[in-house]
Amino acid sequence: MINSIKSGFWTGVRTTGMLARVIVPVYFIVAILSRYGGLEQIAHFFEPVMHIFGLPGEAALVLVLGNVVNLYAALGAIVAISLTSGQLTVLALMLGFSHSLFVESAVVKKTGVPIRVILPLRLGMMILVGMIAGQLTGGMA
Amino acid sequence: MSFVGFLGETLFGAGVSILKLSLIIIPLMIVMQVLKDYQWLDRLTNVLQPLGNKMGIRKDGLFPLLVGILFGISYGSGVIIQSVESGEMNEKDRLLVAVFLVLCHAVVEDTLVFAAVGANGFILLATRILAAFIITVIFSRQYVRTRRKSYEDRAA
Repeated sequence: MINSIKSGFWTGVRTTGMLARVIVPVYFIVAILSRYGGLEQIAHFFEPVMHIFGLPGEAALVLVLGNVVNLYAALGAIVAISLTSGQLTVLALMLGFSHSLFVESAVVKKTGVPIRVILPLRLGMMILVGMIAGQLTGGMA
Repeated sequence: MSFVGFLGETLFGAGVSILKLSLIIIPLMIVMQVLKDYQWLDRLTNVLQPLGNKMGIRKDGLFPLLVGILFGISYGSGVIIQSVESGEMNEKDRLLVAVFLVLCHAVVEDTLVFAAVGANGFILLATRILAAFIITVIFSRQYVRTRRKSYEDRAA
Protein backbone atom coordinates (compact mmCIF):
# COMPACT_ATOMS: atom_id res chain seq x y z
CA MET A 1 0.00 0.00 0.00
CA ILE A 2 2.80 2.40 0.94
CA ASN A 3 4.39 1.93 -2.49
CA SER A 4 1.12 2.69 -4.27
CA ILE A 5 0.71 5.85 -2.18
CA LYS A 6 4.26 6.95 -2.89
CA SER A 7 3.99 6.31 -6.59
CA GLY A 8 0.59 8.06 -6.72
CA PHE A 9 2.05 11.02 -4.81
CA TRP A 10 4.87 11.46 -7.33
CA THR A 11 2.47 11.12 -10.25
CA GLY A 12 0.47 13.90 -8.60
CA VAL A 13 3.56 16.06 -8.17
CA ARG A 14 4.59 15.50 -11.80
CA THR A 15 1.06 16.31 -12.99
CA THR A 16 1.05 19.49 -10.89
CA GLY A 17 4.41 20.48 -12.38
CA MET A 18 3.07 19.82 -15.86
CA LEU A 19 -0.05 21.90 -15.34
CA ALA A 20 1.97 24.70 -13.71
CA ARG A 21 3.99 24.95 -16.92
CA VAL A 22 0.72 25.52 -18.79
CA ILE A 23 -1.13 27.69 -16.27
CA VAL A 24 1.65 30.16 -15.38
CA PRO A 25 2.37 31.41 -18.94
CA VAL A 26 -1.34 31.64 -19.79
CA TYR A 27 -2.07 33.47 -16.53
CA PHE A 28 0.76 35.92 -17.25
CA ILE A 29 -0.30 36.58 -20.82
CA VAL A 30 -3.90 37.19 -19.82
CA ALA A 31 -2.81 39.45 -16.94
CA ILE A 32 -0.61 41.47 -19.30
CA LEU A 33 -3.39 41.67 -21.90
CA SER A 34 -5.72 42.84 -19.17
CA ARG A 35 -3.25 45.49 -17.93
CA TYR A 36 -2.53 46.95 -21.35
CA GLY A 37 -6.03 46.86 -22.80
CA GLY A 38 -5.69 43.97 -25.25
CA LEU A 39 -8.16 41.86 -23.34
CA GLU A 40 -10.77 44.60 -23.66
CA GLN A 41 -10.45 44.53 -27.44
CA ILE A 42 -10.71 40.74 -27.59
CA ALA A 43 -13.70 40.86 -25.26
CA HIS A 44 -15.37 43.55 -27.34
CA PHE A 45 -14.84 41.58 -30.54
CA PHE A 46 -16.31 38.33 -29.18
CA GLU A 47 -19.08 39.95 -27.14
CA PRO A 48 -21.87 39.15 -29.67
CA VAL A 49 -20.91 35.45 -29.96
CA MET A 50 -20.37 34.90 -26.24
CA HIS A 51 -23.69 36.61 -25.55
CA ILE A 52 -25.41 33.45 -26.86
CA PHE A 53 -23.97 31.59 -23.86
CA GLY A 54 -24.61 34.38 -21.37
CA LEU A 55 -20.84 34.88 -21.11
CA PRO A 56 -18.65 38.00 -21.33
CA GLY A 57 -16.45 38.40 -24.43
CA GLU A 58 -13.28 37.44 -22.53
CA ALA A 59 -14.67 33.92 -22.20
CA ALA A 60 -13.87 33.35 -25.89
CA LEU A 61 -10.20 33.25 -24.89
CA VAL A 62 -10.96 30.52 -22.34
CA LEU A 63 -12.87 28.43 -24.89
CA VAL A 64 -10.15 28.70 -27.52
CA LEU A 65 -7.37 27.82 -25.06
CA GLY A 66 -9.34 24.88 -23.68
CA ASN A 67 -10.11 23.43 -27.08
CA VAL A 68 -6.73 24.00 -28.70
CA VAL A 69 -4.40 23.43 -25.74
CA ASN A 70 -6.08 21.80 -22.73
CA LEU A 71 -8.26 22.39 -19.69
CA TYR A 72 -5.39 23.72 -17.64
CA ALA A 73 -4.65 26.42 -20.18
CA ALA A 74 -8.35 27.32 -19.96
CA LEU A 75 -8.08 27.37 -16.16
CA GLY A 76 -5.09 29.70 -16.35
CA ALA A 77 -7.26 32.17 -18.25
CA ILE A 78 -10.30 31.57 -16.01
CA VAL A 79 -8.43 32.49 -12.84
CA ALA A 80 -6.96 35.58 -14.53
CA ILE A 81 -10.35 37.08 -15.52
CA SER A 82 -13.33 37.64 -13.26
CA LEU A 83 -16.48 35.60 -13.80
CA THR A 84 -19.58 34.91 -11.73
CA SER A 85 -20.12 31.41 -10.40
CA GLY A 86 -22.96 30.92 -12.90
CA GLN A 87 -20.71 31.92 -15.80
CA LEU A 88 -18.00 29.61 -14.49
CA THR A 89 -20.44 26.72 -14.47
CA VAL A 90 -21.53 27.45 -18.05
CA LEU A 91 -17.91 27.63 -19.22
CA ALA A 92 -16.94 24.46 -17.35
CA LEU A 93 -19.92 22.62 -18.86
CA MET A 94 -18.98 23.71 -22.37
CA LEU A 95 -15.32 22.79 -21.86
CA GLY A 96 -16.29 19.48 -20.29
CA PHE A 97 -17.76 18.34 -23.60
CA SER A 98 -15.08 19.78 -25.82
CA HIS A 99 -11.42 20.30 -24.94
CA SER A 100 -7.84 19.27 -25.86
CA LEU A 101 -9.20 18.45 -29.31
CA PHE A 102 -5.84 17.75 -30.96
CA VAL A 103 -4.49 15.35 -28.35
CA GLU A 104 -7.74 13.56 -27.59
CA SER A 105 -8.78 13.20 -31.23
CA ALA A 106 -5.47 11.45 -31.89
CA VAL A 107 -6.31 8.85 -29.22
CA VAL A 108 -9.90 8.41 -30.38
CA LYS A 109 -8.74 7.89 -33.95
CA LYS A 110 -6.90 4.77 -32.79
CA THR A 111 -10.20 3.22 -31.70
CA GLY A 112 -11.26 3.29 -35.33
CA VAL A 113 -14.07 5.78 -34.80
CA PRO A 114 -13.79 8.55 -37.41
CA ILE A 115 -12.96 12.10 -36.37
CA ARG A 116 -15.72 13.39 -38.63
CA VAL A 117 -18.20 11.80 -36.19
CA ILE A 118 -16.43 12.75 -32.96
CA LEU A 119 -15.48 16.37 -33.65
CA PRO A 120 -18.94 17.65 -34.66
CA LEU A 121 -20.41 15.70 -31.75
CA ARG A 122 -18.13 17.37 -29.20
CA LEU A 123 -18.36 20.88 -30.65
CA GLY A 124 -22.10 20.50 -31.18
CA MET A 125 -22.66 19.44 -27.56
CA MET A 126 -20.46 22.30 -26.36
CA ILE A 127 -22.56 24.84 -28.24
CA LEU A 128 -25.93 23.26 -27.46
CA VAL A 129 -25.30 22.78 -23.74
CA GLY A 130 -23.68 26.22 -23.55
CA MET A 131 -26.75 27.85 -25.05
CA ILE A 132 -29.14 26.01 -22.72
CA ALA A 133 -27.02 26.61 -19.62
CA GLY A 134 -26.46 30.24 -20.63
CA GLN A 135 -30.19 30.79 -20.95
CA LEU A 136 -30.82 29.16 -17.56
CA THR A 137 -28.16 31.07 -15.65
CA GLY A 138 -28.97 34.29 -17.54
CA GLY A 139 -32.58 33.83 -16.54
CA MET A 140 -31.62 33.41 -12.90
CA ALA A 141 -29.39 36.49 -12.78
CA MET B 1 0.19 49.91 -9.89
CA SER B 2 3.92 49.70 -10.66
CA PHE B 3 5.11 47.01 -13.03
CA VAL B 4 6.97 45.24 -10.21
CA GLY B 5 3.82 45.29 -8.09
CA PHE B 6 1.87 43.92 -11.04
CA LEU B 7 4.44 41.17 -11.58
CA GLY B 8 4.37 40.21 -7.91
CA GLU B 9 0.62 40.10 -7.81
CA THR B 10 0.41 38.02 -10.98
CA LEU B 11 2.98 35.54 -9.70
CA PHE B 12 1.11 35.30 -6.42
CA GLY B 13 -2.21 34.72 -8.21
CA ALA B 14 -0.77 32.00 -10.42
CA GLY B 15 0.98 30.40 -7.44
CA VAL B 16 -2.20 30.27 -5.36
CA SER B 17 -4.11 28.68 -8.25
CA ILE B 18 -1.48 26.00 -8.71
CA LEU B 19 -1.29 25.29 -4.99
CA LYS B 20 -5.06 24.87 -4.90
CA LEU B 21 -4.97 22.50 -7.84
CA SER B 22 -2.12 20.47 -6.35
CA LEU B 23 -4.27 19.89 -3.26
CA ILE B 24 -6.75 18.16 -5.56
CA ILE B 25 -4.42 16.49 -8.03
CA ILE B 26 -1.99 14.83 -5.60
CA PRO B 27 -4.57 13.05 -3.40
CA LEU B 28 -6.51 12.10 -6.53
CA MET B 29 -3.47 10.51 -8.13
CA ILE B 30 -2.79 8.56 -4.92
CA VAL B 31 -6.34 7.18 -4.91
CA MET B 32 -6.08 6.31 -8.62
CA GLN B 33 -2.78 4.50 -8.10
CA VAL B 34 -4.25 2.44 -5.24
CA LEU B 35 -7.32 1.61 -7.38
CA LYS B 36 -5.01 0.43 -10.14
CA ASP B 37 -2.53 -1.54 -8.02
CA TYR B 38 -5.16 -3.42 -6.02
CA GLN B 39 -7.23 -4.45 -9.05
CA TRP B 40 -10.21 -2.62 -7.61
CA LEU B 41 -10.96 -1.38 -11.10
CA ASP B 42 -12.01 -4.86 -12.17
CA ARG B 43 -14.51 -4.98 -9.37
CA LEU B 44 -15.78 -1.50 -10.18
CA THR B 45 -16.44 -2.70 -13.72
CA ASN B 46 -19.37 -4.73 -12.38
CA VAL B 47 -20.94 -1.52 -11.09
CA LEU B 48 -21.00 -0.24 -14.67
CA GLN B 49 -22.76 -3.34 -15.97
CA PRO B 50 -26.38 -2.10 -15.70
CA LEU B 51 -25.42 1.19 -17.36
CA GLY B 52 -23.54 -0.75 -20.07
CA ASN B 53 -26.57 -2.94 -20.72
CA LYS B 54 -28.80 0.07 -21.26
CA MET B 55 -26.30 1.58 -23.71
CA GLY B 56 -25.69 -1.69 -25.54
CA ILE B 57 -22.03 -1.95 -24.55
CA ARG B 58 -20.91 -5.52 -23.89
CA LYS B 59 -18.77 -6.57 -20.93
CA ASP B 60 -15.49 -6.32 -22.91
CA GLY B 61 -16.11 -2.62 -23.47
CA LEU B 62 -16.75 -1.82 -19.82
CA PHE B 63 -13.16 -1.89 -18.58
CA PRO B 64 -11.82 0.68 -21.07
CA LEU B 65 -15.02 2.68 -20.44
CA LEU B 66 -14.37 2.73 -16.69
CA VAL B 67 -10.70 3.61 -17.13
CA GLY B 68 -11.64 6.49 -19.45
CA ILE B 69 -14.38 7.78 -17.15
CA LEU B 70 -12.00 7.82 -14.17
CA PHE B 71 -8.57 8.56 -15.68
CA GLY B 72 -9.41 10.41 -18.87
CA ILE B 73 -8.60 9.92 -22.53
CA SER B 74 -4.93 10.92 -22.36
CA TYR B 75 -3.99 9.09 -19.14
CA GLY B 76 -6.24 6.16 -19.98
CA SER B 77 -5.15 5.98 -23.60
CA GLY B 78 -2.83 3.01 -22.94
CA VAL B 79 -5.66 0.82 -21.67
CA ILE B 80 -8.18 2.08 -24.21
CA ILE B 81 -5.93 1.52 -27.22
CA GLN B 82 -4.78 -1.85 -25.91
CA SER B 83 -8.40 -3.00 -25.50
CA VAL B 84 -9.08 -1.99 -29.08
CA GLU B 85 -5.97 -3.62 -30.49
CA SER B 86 -6.45 -6.87 -28.57
CA GLY B 87 -9.65 -7.27 -30.58
CA GLU B 88 -11.82 -7.88 -27.50
CA MET B 89 -14.22 -5.14 -28.49
CA ASN B 90 -16.38 -5.38 -31.56
CA GLU B 91 -17.15 -2.44 -33.86
CA LYS B 92 -20.27 -1.44 -31.94
CA ASP B 93 -18.48 -1.48 -28.57
CA ARG B 94 -15.67 0.63 -29.97
CA LEU B 95 -18.05 3.21 -31.38
CA LEU B 96 -20.17 3.45 -28.25
CA VAL B 97 -17.24 3.57 -25.82
CA ALA B 98 -15.62 6.31 -27.93
CA VAL B 99 -18.85 8.32 -28.09
CA PHE B 100 -19.44 8.08 -24.35
CA LEU B 101 -15.84 8.86 -23.48
CA VAL B 102 -15.34 11.91 -25.69
CA LEU B 103 -18.29 13.51 -23.93
CA CYS B 104 -17.54 12.25 -20.45
CA HIS B 105 -14.08 11.35 -19.15
CA ALA B 106 -11.72 12.15 -16.27
CA VAL B 107 -14.83 13.10 -14.36
CA VAL B 108 -13.24 13.27 -10.91
CA GLU B 109 -10.34 15.49 -11.92
CA ASP B 110 -12.32 17.82 -14.19
CA THR B 111 -15.17 18.22 -11.72
CA LEU B 112 -12.96 18.91 -8.70
CA VAL B 113 -10.68 21.28 -10.59
CA PHE B 114 -13.55 23.40 -11.93
CA ALA B 115 -15.33 23.30 -8.58
CA ALA B 116 -12.11 24.62 -7.00
CA VAL B 117 -12.30 27.77 -9.12
CA GLY B 118 -16.00 28.28 -8.31
CA ALA B 119 -18.16 26.29 -10.74
CA ASN B 120 -21.00 24.09 -9.51
CA GLY B 121 -19.45 20.61 -9.40
CA PHE B 122 -22.71 18.77 -9.00
CA ILE B 123 -24.24 20.34 -12.12
CA LEU B 124 -21.05 19.62 -14.08
CA LEU B 125 -20.90 15.95 -13.13
CA ALA B 126 -24.61 15.23 -13.51
CA THR B 127 -24.92 17.00 -16.88
CA ARG B 128 -21.89 15.31 -18.35
CA ILE B 129 -22.88 11.79 -17.31
CA LEU B 130 -26.52 12.23 -18.31
CA ALA B 131 -25.70 13.81 -21.68
CA ALA B 132 -23.09 11.17 -22.53
CA PHE B 133 -25.55 8.42 -21.57
CA ILE B 134 -28.38 9.82 -23.72
CA ILE B 135 -26.16 10.42 -26.76
CA THR B 136 -24.64 6.93 -26.47
CA VAL B 137 -28.11 5.35 -26.32
CA ILE B 138 -29.05 7.30 -29.46
CA PHE B 139 -25.91 6.08 -31.26
CA SER B 140 -26.58 2.53 -30.07
CA ARG B 141 -30.12 2.51 -31.48
CA GLN B 142 -28.96 4.12 -34.71
CA TYR B 143 -26.21 1.52 -35.07
CA VAL B 144 -28.67 -1.35 -34.67
CA ARG B 145 -31.05 0.27 -37.15
CA THR B 146 -28.44 0.78 -39.89
CA ARG B 147 -27.12 -2.74 -39.33
CA ARG B 148 -30.57 -4.25 -39.69
CA LYS B 149 -31.20 -2.19 -42.80
CA SER B 150 -27.97 -3.25 -44.49
CA TYR B 151 -28.76 -6.87 -43.58
CA GLU B 152 -32.22 -6.60 -45.09
CA ASP B 153 -30.79 -4.91 -48.20
CA ARG B 154 -28.38 -7.76 -48.68
CA ALA B 155 -31.12 -10.35 -48.12
CA ALA B 156 -33.41 -8.69 -50.66
